[in-house]
Amino acid sequence: MFRSTHFRPAALACLAVLTVLPLATAQQESPDEKTTSLGKQYESIVNVECSALRVDYRTPWNAATPSGGTGTAFLIGPNLFLTNAHVVSDASRIVVKKVGDSTPHRARVKFIAHDCDLALLELEQPSEAFAEAVPLSISPEIPKLDTTVKVVGYPIGGERISVTRGVVSRVDYQEYSHSGVDQHLAIQIDAAINPGNSGGPVLQGTQVVGVAFQGYSGDVAQNTGYMIPTPVIRRFLKDVQDGRYDHYVELAIQKTPILNPAQRKALNLPDNDTGVMITAVDSTGSCGGILQVGDVLLALDGYPVDSTGSIDIEGEQTEMAEVVERKFVGDKLKLKVWRGSKEQEFEITLKPFPAYLMQANRYEQQPEYLMHAGLVFQPLDHELMGAFSLTNLRTRYFYDYYAQDELYKELPEIVVLTSVLPDAINTWFRDYTGQVVEEINGVKIKSLKDAADALAKEPDGTHLTIRLAGEGRLIVLEKKLIAAAQERIQRKYGLAQDRYLAP
Amino acid sequence: MKFRSLLAALLLPLALPSMATAAPSPETSILRVNITSQGYNFALPWQKQRPNTRRGLGALLQGNRVLVTAELAQDANYIELEQAASGKRITAKVEAVDYEINLATIIPDEDPGDFFKGMEALEIDTTLKPKASLDVWQFESNGTPVSSPVEFNRVDLGPYFLEDQFFLIFQANGAVQYRSGTFTLPVIHEGKLAGMLLRYNSRDQVSDILPAAMVDRFLEDVATPPYEGLPSFGVRMSPTLDPQLRSYLKLDPANGGILITDVTPGFSAAAAGVQQGDVIMEMNGYKLDARGSYDDPLYGLLGSGHLARGKAAAGEVMKLKLIRDGKPIDLDVPLMRKLPQDYLVDPYVFDRQPRYLILGGVLFQELTLPFLQLAGKEWRDRASFRLVYAQANQDEFLKAGRRKLVFISGVLPAPCTIGYERMAGLIVNQVNGKDITDLASLAEAVKSPANGIHRIDVVDGPRTIYLDDAQAKQDNAEFLPNRYRITALSNLK
Repeated sequence: MFRSTHFRPAALACLAVLTVLPLATAQQESPDEKTTSLGKQYESIVNVECSALRVDYRTPWNAATPSGGTGTAFLIGPNLFLTNAHVVSDASRIVVKKVGDSTPHRARVKFIAHDCDLALLELEQPSEAFAEAVPLSISPEIPKLDTTVKVVGYPIGGERISVTRGVVSRVDYQEYSHSGVDQHLAIQIDAAINPGNSGGPVLQGTQVVGVAFQGYSGDVAQNTGYMIPTPVIRRFLKDVQDGRYDHYVELAIQKTPILNPAQRKALNLPDNDTGVMITAVDSTGSCGGILQVGDVLLALDGYPVDSTGSIDIEGEQTEMAEVVERKFVGDKLKLKVWRGSKEQEFEITLKPFPAYLMQANRYEQQPEYLMHAGLVFQPLDHELMGAFSLTNLRTRYFYDYYAQDELYKELPEIVVLTSVLPDAINTWFRDYTGQVVEEINGVKIKSLKDAADALAKEPDGTHLTIRLAGEGRLIVLEKKLIAAAQERIQRKYGLAQDRYLAP
Repeated sequence: MKFRSLLAALLLPLALPSMATAAPSPETSILRVNITSQGYNFALPWQKQRPNTRRGLGALLQGNRVLVTAELAQDANYIELEQAASGKRITAKVEAVDYEINLATIIPDEDPGDFFKGMEALEIDTTLKPKASLDVWQFESNGTPVSSPVEFNRVDLGPYFLEDQFFLIFQANGAVQYRSGTFTLPVIHEGKLAGMLLRYNSRDQVSDILPAAMVDRFLEDVATPPYEGLPSFGVRMSPTLDPQLRSYLKLDPANGGILITDVTPGFSAAAAGVQQGDVIMEMNGYKLDARGSYDDPLYGLLGSGHLARGKAAAGEVMKLKLIRDGKPIDLDVPLMRKLPQDYLVDPYVFDRQPRYLILGGVLFQELTLPFLQLAGKEWRDRASFRLVYAQANQDEFLKAGRRKLVFISGVLPAPCTIGYERMAGLIVNQVNGKDITDLASLAEAVKSPANGIHRIDVVDGPRTIYLDDAQAKQDNAEFLPNRYRITALSNLK
């Protein structure tokens, strides 16, 4: 489920993923021991060192900057290790090490799911070292409240494997901070989870009941670590069985509780604490053309929805989206709806809703850009918003309401004039950065490719004109000056290419 | 007794001639003005904020009027004029106030008796030019006069009091020590009023002064009712220094002019036919350079905003020479004033209660800038985005037929509003099927619920809110007055 963007609890901003253990300290030699005092199952739990490359969206033409961190992964099948997506995002090189053995084994990402912060790794050369290791089995169930769990991994505070213990504190929906926009079931535990624990198993007996992945920083809350529970893990493993990861499916609706008696009276609803009112339906989402604003959703696949939007699933009261969370692209879902004082049944086919990714963190993505006469154009997304601290009110509108106001239908990409590489030709345009490009030579711009095409085309008059949204001053460039300026700027500012457009 | 009156009689003839010839001094021409302000609480508009008493200095003018800044006089509840030395006080009231030009005159509330005896009204000097020596007058807390010399050295346009409004400012250099927490100080040149000190930057020792020329135009306007005020020209402009822009606009490379980038519908310029893309070459015979400045006979290079607002008056006609599509045209623009209530979102609200209506705990208001500013200095980032966006794009809403932007500013927990407690910042489209264009239309719409249920349609959030009419009436009558001490459930004035 994706988070509705406009009612964001403030404290969530502090949720942080836990791989921050920097490589420099982690690379110290660990003692060369072949035996450990730990049980056999720890043989399957490995330390992951990831060298990553982070791109700077302000200089999208530059190579990325190396960085890195360490985390934990564990064997779940032949040459198959489960870990967090954030442990291995943007990886340039991944190395795993067995407990008590400093031999590095090179590994690679087989599948990665940024929306649920999980990834599968495999060794590039299957090694004898793991021949005896027994894959950990994943529990089919969610652990009960107040039952004991232990967290195993390679967190900060030492070189060797670490075990901490605690109980299941809460089962609830949480924001997954790796993508920043997704919410799934998560389990809060009070066992210490520290940087480096990420991707490590949370065990109950011999079975994995979760993957440790995030926590609050200490000054916000104490002893609140979170693990990804098995329904999310199992869904990921099932999704990739066809050889690729398809992303979660979404209802792509907004809802409001029905708690006020006047709502029931006005809608002629029976007084039985059932149903939530639909307040928005994304027309390109799974419910588009089927649900309407003002409908009351009574049940999903036979699970009654209560007046706050919760369902009872396997004895747990949980967010109704959980029914959808366990399904896949193309799966069907039955909706029972109250419309016009009558019950109606619909069946929908589930699909993802990519428009909400406007506000998601991006990974493994080479930033697109286009430089023309020193003006740098880039498509709007979360990374761009952060890198340039864009504050222009219209730009913020395009960003905040891209999904909600269905701007994506008209504008697949929002092209922003992000910066100006100073030169004689553009010396008067530096105050216009951070604004959305509306037209180039009178042609409406709906993607970066549109901008590239419009700029490549010979304009009719003597000038190239660029209209920014809500800005009365046109940007005008004398055609005859552009070619020389382009060459000069590209050379001086060290741009090997004047553009990168994703294929 | 006899001795004292004899003494007085002896002294008076001696004292009088010397006072008549001496230049005015702080003692003779400056008064303390103690003002207790109490604005309304824009979050809970049925009540006022905590009263706040401020102390300023006013300049005595002809007719026992005392000049202060409007900023000091805002939302005045109670005013005293005080002689600095003797501490003698009388009660007073606001005679006239203009928050844009940031000036107000204060007059005695009752017969002043001999309060002004021995005092001398200041004349106003509107002829000052840079390099003049000025004195900032104030008092020590014990009433001793203090005069700080500063040098007037620069003229510019700058903000007075309200956000985003720029008027003539004199800048002066020199140390001014603030005494006894006074707010705005009179500035004097050779015994005449040169202006009112608005701001002082102690690090750079720079004073921003509201000049006498602006005081003079304000007083003249007050003296000849009806009050006309400053006109609202209603354009946004951009320099034409860029040679590529000049060749695109077919402008003579050397000849100045400023580009109109936006024209506000309904304001003076739009009403007279000024268009986006026009280039203004001259205003009232003054040539504008490529930055939009003109050569003022008194002050030198100055922004054209002064010609269009500060120096102009509503009712006058502004003569423009424009270039449109490369061709020169002449245009006469009758100047009109826009009052805060003429905007979709009032840019300021003083001396009146915000308009609101409460229905069973749901609080409706008309959006005002002071409401948005409750979110603090960073209100553009912090206040509800839809409201901030509406404030910045008022034309879109005016074109859609709204006169004011009615929104739900909050919900008071009451029996009627169970489940709605967290709603805030929601723009109202319709109530009971009727379009809401201002609070009066809302007051009308809530009279006709269907089947005893009010239906409120809003942008975003729950989209539709239902309220039980009987419960709302009961809460309006009992719960809200008793628990929240709401004395009036609406203010539509």
